[in-house]
Amino acid sequence: MAKSKQDRYEQIKRFESDLSQCMKCGFCTFWCPVYQEERLEPSVARGKNMMIRGLLAGDLEYTKEYAQRLNKCTLCMTCTANCPAKANIPNVIVAARADTVKARGLKFPYNIVYRWLLPRRTLFGRVVRFASWFQGIFLPKTEGTVRHLSMFLSALGKGRNIPQIAPRFLRQSVSVVNKTPKGVETTMTVGYFTGCMTDFVFPELGKHIIDFLTRNGVEVIVPREQGCCGAPVFLGAGDFDTGRKMADTNVKAFEGLDYVISDCATCTSSLKDYNKFLADTPERKEAYTKFAGRILDISQFLVDVLKLPASAYKPSAEAKGKKVTWHDPCHLNRHLGITSQPRQIIKSIPDIEYVEMPNADRCCGMAGSFSMYYYDLSKQIADKKVEAIKSTGADIVASSCPGCEIQLIDSLLRNKVPVKVMHIMELLA
Amino acid sequence: MFDKKLVSELHKIVGKDAVLISREDLNAYSYDGTATWTHLPDVVVLPTTADQVSQILKLADENRIPVTPRGAGTNVSGGSIPIKGGVVLCTTRMNKILDINKTNMTAIVEPGVVLHDFNIALAKQGLFYPPDPQSFLGCTVGGTVAENAGGPYCVKYGVTKQYVLGLEVVLANGYIMKLGGVTVKNRTGYELTMLFTGSEGTLGVITKITLRLIPMPPASKTMMAIFDDMVVGGQAVSNILASGVVPAKIEFVDNFVLRRIEEMTPMGLPVDAKALLLLQADGSPAAVEAESQQIVDILKKSGAKEVKVAKDASEAAMYWKMRSAGFAATFSAAHTVLAEDVAVPRDKLAEFIQKLDEISTRTGFFICYLGHAGDGNLHPSIFTDMRNKEEFARAQQAMEEIFEAALSVGGVLSGEHGIGLEKQRFLKRAMDPVALNLMRKIKALLDPNHILNPGKIWEEERV
Ligand SMILES: Cc1cc2nc3c(=O)[nH]c(=O)nc-3n(C[C@H](O)[C@H](O)[C@H](O)COP(=O)(O)OP(=O)(O)OC[C@H]3O[C@@H](n4cnc5c(N)ncnc54)[C@H](O)[C@@H]3O)c2cc1C
Ligand code: SF4
Ligand code: SF4
Repeated sequence: MAKSKQDRYEQIKRFESDLSQCMKCGFCTFWCPVYQEERLEPSVARGKNMMIRGLLAGDLEYTKEYAQRLNKCTLCMTCTANCPAKANIPNVIVAARADTVKARGLKFPYNIVYRWLLPRRTLFGRVVRFASWFQGIFLPKTEGTVRHLSMFLSALGKGRNIPQIAPRFLRQSVSVVNKTPKGVETTMTVGYFTGCMTDFVFPELGKHIIDFLTRNGVEVIVPREQGCCGAPVFLGAGDFDTGRKMADTNVKAFEGLDYVISDCATCTSSLKDYNKFLADTPERKEAYTKFAGRILDISQFLVDVLKLPASAYKPSAEAKGKKVTWHDPCHLNRHLGITSQPRQIIKSIPDIEYVEMPNADRCCGMAGSFSMYYYDLSKQIADKKVEAIKSTGADIVASSCPGCEIQLIDSLLRNKVPVKVMHIMELLA
Repeated sequence: MFDKKLVSELHKIVGKDAVLISREDLNAYSYDGTATWTHLPDVVVLPTTADQVSQILKLADENRIPVTPRGAGTNVSGGSIPIKGGVVLCTTRMNKILDINKTNMTAIVEPGVVLHDFNIALAKQGLFYPPDPQSFLGCTVGGTVAENAGGPYCVKYGVTKQYVLGLEVVLANGYIMKLGGVTVKNRTGYELTMLFTGSEGTLGVITKITLRLIPMPPASKTMMAIFDDMVVGGQAVSNILASGVVPAKIEFVDNFVLRRIEEMTPMGLPVDAKALLLLQADGSPAAVEAESQQIVDILKKSGAKEVKVAKDASEAAMYWKMRSAGFAATFSAAHTVLAEDVAVPRDKLAEFIQKLDEISTRTGFFICYLGHAGDGNLHPSIFTDMRNKEEFARAQQAMEEIFEAALSVGGVLSGEHGIGLEKQRFLKRAMDPVALNLMRKIKALLDPNHILNPGKIWEEERV
């Protein structure tokens, strides 16, 4: 026992006020998507928080069971949003994951994936590519354009319907500097954080976003040095050390740019979270805080910064004449408080009928690594979302988080519901 | 360690995934809404049918193992804490609404149905089930029956027991007994449904509940009255009740709670008010109009500094949200919050508040409270820290004085939270000894081996 007690609970201690704020009223049982499926006390914020208190009190240890229960949380923040005591238990859970990793280490295959692969963008790309060959050769095709992924992606997949890995990644198909077309005055320059999903799986979306922005007077920089936002590493797995490396890489990659936009709600919120979880030195604190202030979700950028007139929004060929509903990603809604901007955009598009789904803000159950550990649970949570989407009679469900989109594609297919999943930017011509 | 053989027996009854034995899981069933009590169970089972409950109880009874029934664990009296270890029998997976009958105005539910889920299902059909403990987002219907819970609406509509028509109860020996029925009137023998209503899990496990419903009142109006003096506020409540109008709710918030709420969620509350009354009138639109006017008049005459009538539903919702934040405001204010649940006759409210003031001055403890004033049911709370033994002992002493004060004006120990662990040491003083003895005999008759929620209600001595 070389480590002191304080050291063993280093990260948890930083969120002690959240930890002690919970007064065990049990209201979170009503909101927690995991509890709603399992109806087990260890699944809900109150139970997890009490488990962590149990650890601090010396009643519990860093066991496998402890780690498993910590992982069983989508970090959707629904508990916090509705907590009468304003206790942010997801904060405590992330911190507890970090201390657990310190105490227990990361287990195979996650240690390889998180420590080694995700921080190395080019290598990661090659492995993804490699896996995609296997996917084509060895695995049966599923419905539509979606196939099973294998190998590394089995960690994400586990039989999930995942869109095919793109033949050419975004980074391979666009330039670093993307200028506005001739005749369009450049009013602004932004950095584009592409995120793993858009880069490897949805590069067409990335190209479309660059095209849309440049047409509207925005020069778009796509720094080659940028990497994964780190969400699966520091939020999901609690590996703060690797998380810091990834954070530093991204901060450096976007130096000198006033705005950094992202099309992925999870990336946006994770980039902003560097300061909360990873700032271990005054320098990092300053750098991460400044960085956070420059990060914007794409819809937020269009509405609040670029202030495009309604006339700039025209329907894409695929969306024209269709009925569209909106799914609020947890990371956009509760983490960043962005709810009106995407709705405003969709409602301004002519020839599109907007319909609000019931409980649009309910978690879809994807939550990155959560769904790797608990795919069945993740599916059950998603099925509720499918019901809500179905009830609207919409042709298209739009969102702005590729993670959610993968979950929605998978769940709609599994339930044989013919609703198309699109990123909000794909609704726009 | 719990006997392996018993665990495998339980596996056979409910299946593996409904039996929890890891230390981490047991920890999650060791607490409830109280600040001071915890105890680990040896095993947690989550049955889904009455038949499973019956088999579990039989097994436990044969092996003399304690069984603590648990709903959502939101009670604030220590009721669901497995103080003797053994089995926690958790009903959260028995959560089906079995029937809602709009013509007979009744519903049949399993015990683990969450009260708010039930309310949502009823609202879709224009029906209303009034008992509204402010834990409705978490608590189960079974838990509210076992605690005979009440809430703001009870001024006009009464508490849970006024709505229970029938129960299915599994007895300690495993027998599945049916009580009552689906009729509003029922005069067949002793009122045994009432025996189990409020029995805090000590007499049997409730597995099915038949409830009476009423139509949703078509209109309502919310009023807020501000007072410079708590005693005057208390008197205003008595004046309203004496005048003949029956508001649906009358709730009380003191200055401390008010400030805490405003601090946590700013909503422009009058933070210098000494006390605040929140009232609601409901019924037909014409009646609501007349009654609320009458209430406003009485409030003003009784010395309210200001009376506000909510303009619309959203303003009303804001006021009530504030009220429900009261619990959090109180409970997150200190390391250990001793919150009580005394109820006094409604014409003695002002006198009781006066006495609380005196106790506060005498003991040096600040007493904060909010409560269901219309029922004479207040939750005086003392902030302390149980890690400081000396102060904690003094705080408990002050709490005792509060009980005495309530009893001295003709009040009772607990309005709605039950006895559990929290209040058992006062039970003897608060009850006729013959009645208490009768209760013990009933307990012994129904649960001869003392397996059901042992250690609750009664102090330790054997029956
Ligand atoms: C924020 C907050 C506000 C509250 N407000 C109110 C209020 O306004 N009014 C009020 O009355 N109470 C209130 N309470 C107390 C509490 O919510 C109620 O007592 C509620 O009825 C408990 O329900 P539960 O499902 O959580 O039961 P639990 O806490 O799990 O159990 C309560 C008791 O019932 C027994 N029990 C549970 N289920 C069964 C069953 N199926 N068969 C037999 N016994 C059973 C248990 O053994 C235990 O003794 C509040 C609590 C909180 C935390
Ligand atoms: S809602 Fe908040 S205070 Fe209540 S139990 Fe959950 S986390 Fe704790
Ligand atoms: S963050 Fe979401 S999944 Fe996690 S405890 Fe809170 S409500 Fe449950």
